[in-house]
Amino acid sequence: MTLLAAIVQASPTPAPVPGAGIFTSPFLLSLLIWLPVFIAVAIALMPNPRGRYDVLMKQIAFFTMLGLMFILFIAYNQFENFLPTMQYEEKVPWLPAIGVTYHLGVDGPGLVMLMLSGLIGLASVLASLGVRERVRAYFSLLLLTQASVNGAIVARDMFVFVMFWAAAAVPLAVLILGWGGPRRTTAAWRLLGYWGLGTAALVVGVLALYTLAGGRSFDMDVLLKATLTPRNQVVISIAMIVAAATRLPLFPLHGWVRDVLAEAPVGVAVIVAGAATRLGAFLLLRTVIAAEPAAGHLLSPLLAALAAMTVGYAGLAALRTVDVRHMAAYLAMVPGGITVLGLAAISPLGIAGSVLSLFTGGLAAALIAGVCATLAERAQSRSLAVLSGLAPRMPNVAWLLIIAALALLGVPILSSFTAEVMTFFGAFKNQPIGAFAVAAGLAVTAVALATLLRRVLFGSPNPDAPGVSDASLGETWFLGLLAGALLWVGMFPGGPKIPGTEFPLFDPGLLNQMTAGISDLASPYTPPTPGGVTQ
Amino acid sequence: MTRYFVLLPEALLVALAVAVMVAGRFGWLQATSRRWLPLAVSVVVLVALGVELWAGALVGTFFGGALVSDRFALFAKAAVLLTAAVAIATTDWTAEDSLFLGLAMPLLAAFGVMVAASSADLVGLWAGLEVAGAASVVMVALRRPDLSLRLLVAGGIASALVLVGLAFVYATTGNPNLSGIRAVIGNEAPALPLAIPVLLLLGGLAVRAGIAPFHVAGLQVGLGASPLGAGLIFGTAAVAAATVGMKLTAALVAIPDVYVPWVNVVSALAMVGGGAAALAVRSPRPRLAYLAVSQLGWVAAGVGTHFRSGIGGSLFLLGAFAVAATCGPALLGRAEGGEPAIHGFGTLRPVRAAGLALAMLSLAGAPPLAGFFGELAVAMALAQSGSYVLLGLGLLGSVLAIAAVVGTLRVLYIQSPLEESRRGAAAALPAVTALSTAGAVVFCIVIAGYGVFGNPIMGLADQGAEALGLR
Repeated sequence: MTLLAAIVQASPTPAPVPGAGIFTSPFLLSLLIWLPVFIAVAIALMPNPRGRYDVLMKQIAFFTMLGLMFILFIAYNQFENFLPTMQYEEKVPWLPAIGVTYHLGVDGPGLVMLMLSGLIGLASVLASLGVRERVRAYFSLLLLTQASVNGAIVARDMFVFVMFWAAAAVPLAVLILGWGGPRRTTAAWRLLGYWGLGTAALVVGVLALYTLAGGRSFDMDVLLKATLTPRNQVVISIAMIVAAATRLPLFPLHGWVRDVLAEAPVGVAVIVAGAATRLGAFLLLRTVIAAEPAAGHLLSPLLAALAAMTVGYAGLAALRTVDVRHMAAYLAMVPGGITVLGLAAISPLGIAGSVLSLFTGGLAAALIAGVCATLAERAQSRSLAVLSGLAPRMPNVAWLLIIAALALLGVPILSSFTAEVMTFFGAFKNQPIGAFAVAAGLAVTAVALATLLRRVLFGSPNPDAPGVSDASLGETWFLGLLAGALLWVGMFPGGPKIPGTEFPLFDPGLLNQMTAGISDLASPYTPPTPGGVTQ
Repeated sequence: MTRYFVLLPEALLVALAVAVMVAGRFGWLQATSRRWLPLAVSVVVLVALGVELWAGALVGTFFGGALVSDRFALFAKAAVLLTAAVAIATTDWTAEDSLFLGLAMPLLAAFGVMVAASSADLVGLWAGLEVAGAASVVMVALRRPDLSLRLLVAGGIASALVLVGLAFVYATTGNPNLSGIRAVIGNEAPALPLAIPVLLLLGGLAVRAGIAPFHVAGLQVGLGASPLGAGLIFGTAAVAAATVGMKLTAALVAIPDVYVPWVNVVSALAMVGGGAAALAVRSPRPRLAYLAVSQLGWVAAGVGTHFRSGIGGSLFLLGAFAVAATCGPALLGRAEGGEPAIHGFGTLRPVRAAGLALAMLSLAGAPPLAGFFGELAVAMALAQSGSYVLLGLGLLGSVLAIAAVVGTLRVLYIQSPLEESRRGAAAALPAVTALSTAGAVVFCIVIAGYGVFGNPIMGLADQGAEALGLR
């Protein structure tokens, strides 16, 4: 499939994929949430005298993530992309007195986020294989974090969403406090402060929405389809934007990102940069863009401005810093800005681009955070003044750092290219100033990346630097997994086909699967055709 | 005759408390009773809980209308019975000063809450409050007579305020019965003569509950008490005051202007102040105490909405609060040597540490535990009543509280344990017994399952609010 065809296919005219819909399960999504919780509790309860079963615990965590990935692959493969409705739905009355239902479901964007979460979860466990201290607690907390991210993605009830959204903060803060770098305390408090502020804004927004929608149900099918006045839509949307900006993060609510991504252990940095933060953009997509079209129109310039400031700030800050992990943290902000630019475009193509950039941006952010953390660990220094000319001595890390840099910039062959093309094509029409500013920010980012690569990889070797070693097998695997996913979706956005046919080989294609539901999400912004029929 | 089965739990509690005290006083029980007596008492309290859940479904009045059996009473009584059973089971009895009085006082405190919950008139409310308060004083006196005197004086002032307020309400309405007061007040406009006694009354209740800014006396006393004594002060005594507060405000619901502004100010102070203070202190017991203050602020905020959904949310939260605030100090055990006393607690006493972590997280309102569901139920009522400022302050308090708890989690699970040679008596580890371990496990299940399986509980809380005559 050509790239252009892939992009066109992302517009809301999905075709059914043969072989889909054969398998379904009434509790598939629950498995994605509760299996890691169950395993986390089991690990926490396992006796472990003097660390005798540390390796076993790592294996259990790894195979749990692998199992989740297998379940996800089934969900992905069997997903019926021509259906605009939620799939694998589970709906059980939970607290009927206040209108809470245990309602789960996924559409195309949800499936994309789930795939991202699964890949990032697996990568984070692989990245954590080197953990030596308090292994039981570490992997229990990591699995709980994974469960909360999965729960927030599949939640179709706002109460359930808030619960999972908020639940990630505590295990992550403890992980940073327990296994982080020298400034871990600052990092953990900042994470709690900013994420707490965001959660408070989310709760206020959700409760206001609940009240204005009649106060009978927290179900998204009710809340997000309620008819609100433009003024109410704007008020609620601002609360949601604050919540999303603290999580994604967006300038100026990004104060936690540098310390957290720089001080967290590698596995935790990967899960934060890759999956947990993407929930911010996912929230914007579900609430502001899809549900509050009047506010979407009014606030889209604000979103574009936030995106531009985020990308520009991240690029400039990355250029100024002399700490390689700080630089990675700033660079990991860039994909979030691009995703928000796509949402600000309020056009089907821009929204589709932002959905794809949730996936590609998550992978790219996790890859840059992970590779820079690995580099700093293996080179025994975080200082850019010390790290120099490492490419010959760290070939694996060097290649992966180059791929991460290219992924951030959206270079062809990598999936972030497709996402950025869709985003910018969509954005230049409706938000030309914002799109131009983001592009300028990307140029600054490119300079920062070029400086990083030139100095760290290809500069003259520093004779006074500590000894370096290349990435271990586990580190290469986790970084390779992220880079491989970026390459795979970039090369086969519509999935590989049996030669000469349109039948998918085994992967129906992320672009095909993500289209389900996008037409519904983007319907308020679909321009009418001359014949009066909406596209 | 069978209709009086509904009073059997109260009778069982009082009889058991008296029997334990008498047996202890006259030495009828041998030293080995320390092994089985807490288990026996817990089982009897659980039997009382079973009877309450079975017979408490009957709605009716007793003793000429002095006591009422309704859904509010059923909820509050069931919550406090469960709390008493779990607290007795989780307590490290080697850290308590007297086994017999230590077993009897939680039963009497629970009895006080039960009397207040089922009381239909002012006298019953006051009596229940005093019984619960007196039990706390006795528990403190066992270890620190000076502090118990302080608690007694503070309680006396609170009682005086409550009594003056009750007397004024009675004088104004000419009726000691809550439904009668409600009927009379429904026909009158709010007036200053009524506002002042209501202010005094609620002030007295705030002192009793230990809610900020009236928490100073109770908090200091609680820090010097035995673990279970601290639990009674932070938890059960506060639940008694909150129960009385809910019943009284429901009777005054026709004139919300008289009490709502005051309740809102106090709840805002408690929510934010409790969270901030919890963050400022490092020792686990003061932190637990401030977390309890913060959550009690949420309970008060729900009461301030003066609607059924708000009081229902408060009642639902009160159940979670009762269990966590009473059992938290008991789970902590001796550990009076500040933060180092619980270094590595997760390694040394994993089940207790898990219980303590869950108690703190629940009091802070962290998802997906009992306190989170309760606070969100109250938050929903606040949003519906348009109190967004109070809601924002409450959320700020919760964020501060959660940040505080993360600090304790680090100490519990990440710090290395103290060396045995440096562990003094104040930092002694709780003794491990089958009962205390089982109690901690049950506690964890209750806190984790309260919201997850919360449909019947929340439904009952909602019916409880309805039983108070709220719409």
